[in-house]
Amino acid sequence: MKPSTRNQLAHLDRAILAMLQERARLLSGEDSDNPDRLARIDDLLQRAEGPFDPGLLKEIFDAIDRGCGGSGS
Amino acid sequence: MIIRFRPGTPPARVQELREKIETSGSRTVLSPEPARPLLAVVDKLSSELREVVEACPDVESTVQPPGAWRMVDRRFRENPSTVKVGDVEIGGGKVVVCAGPCSVDPLLDEAAAMVSQAGGHLLRGGAFKPRTSPWSFQGFGVEGLRLLKDAGQKYGMPVVSEVMDAAQLPAFKDHDIDCLQIGARNMQNFTLLKAVAEAGAPVLLKRGLSATVHEWLYSAEYLAAFGCSDIILCERGIRTFENATRNTLDLTILPLLREWTHLPVMVDPSHAAGIASLIPTLSRASIAAGADGIAVEVHPDPSVARSDAEQALGSGELATIVAEARIQAAVTGRGLHT
Repeated sequence: MKPSTRNQLAHLDRAILAMLQERARLLSGEDSDNPDRLARIDDLLQRAEGPFDPGLLKEIFDAIDRGCGGSGS
Repeated sequence: MIIRFRPGTPPARVQELREKIETSGSRTVLSPEPARPLLAVVDKLSSELREVVEACPDVESTVQPPGAWRMVDRRFRENPSTVKVGDVEIGGGKVVVCAGPCSVDPLLDEAAAMVSQAGGHLLRGGAFKPRTSPWSFQGFGVEGLRLLKDAGQKYGMPVVSEVMDAAQLPAFKDHDIDCLQIGARNMQNFTLLKAVAEAGAPVLLKRGLSATVHEWLYSAEYLAAFGCSDIILCERGIRTFENATRNTLDLTILPLLREWTHLPVMVDPSHAAGIASLIPTLSRASIAAGADGIAVEVHPDPSVARSDAEQALGSGELATIVAEARIQAAVTGRGLHT
């Protein structure tokens, strides 16, 4: 792997981690997650473009939901 | 010169060197920094005394600020300083959004509700307005302060408002205005700076429309030297040859200010652009460049706003700005104030 790719991956990983933490912080004061969240995520994933495996994306969003205090799908 | 003592240097030994310096006729200021003693020397030292200072075993290093300011210099604190406005902390890794109408008007309650619902942290609103034309709306005055404070309390947000004259300070105190704004046109009104510094409230110091960074930091130093320890700088655009926008937002100075001063810095993209559609992009850019917060103008119905209607945002745009501020804060290693 090229050093520049490694460097970019490190920055992306830090940004992903920071945003996950920020998402959890945002929800920490709330009683419950948005009830239309599942439909919204499904809609988001259907329109997603890119090489990331769609099934894995669904799993990731489920995991994010659980990490933020939700119950997943 | 700023003298950085070694951490743990006993106060008596700091005082000993301080007295030696002051006996020579130079004034000094001791930093409130708890991590280590930091002593600012205001006046130039003789070469002999300088050698004595540098040879002192308690002195780790000496640094020369890029200007003649001392108390606002970055090296006068171990870490960047934070300022509490009500229960909102500015600086320290949390980004804040300050929003409200340019002028307090009859729709203030709706504007405050917009700010609160969008997730804003501070409510701004002008009661005394410095207008270019004497025929323009001059603000509601003291009644405006009352309306602003009431709206802030109703929606749980500390309030920020501009003070234009030292004679207005008792009204600001009576209405418990949480943060006093020094506007761009008064940045070098040194009499006002001294009076505001002595008032004891946090101060939002806007950059003068033609002020250099040096001049801006000297104004901040005035506030610090006269007793204000809670100073927030606010870049709001400077006057350049460009006239497609109201002013030119000078984001270049944000990383520079990080090197030169410990003070938190906010950005007001509304006054810089003067065009509402540009403000979301400039808000993102400001936070990406390191701003500790943004100050934007909103109005529930810009068509009836008493001033600066063309740069007022609606509720949807403000909500988007707050959401994007959260993302920008996260990717720059910070977070949005809760």
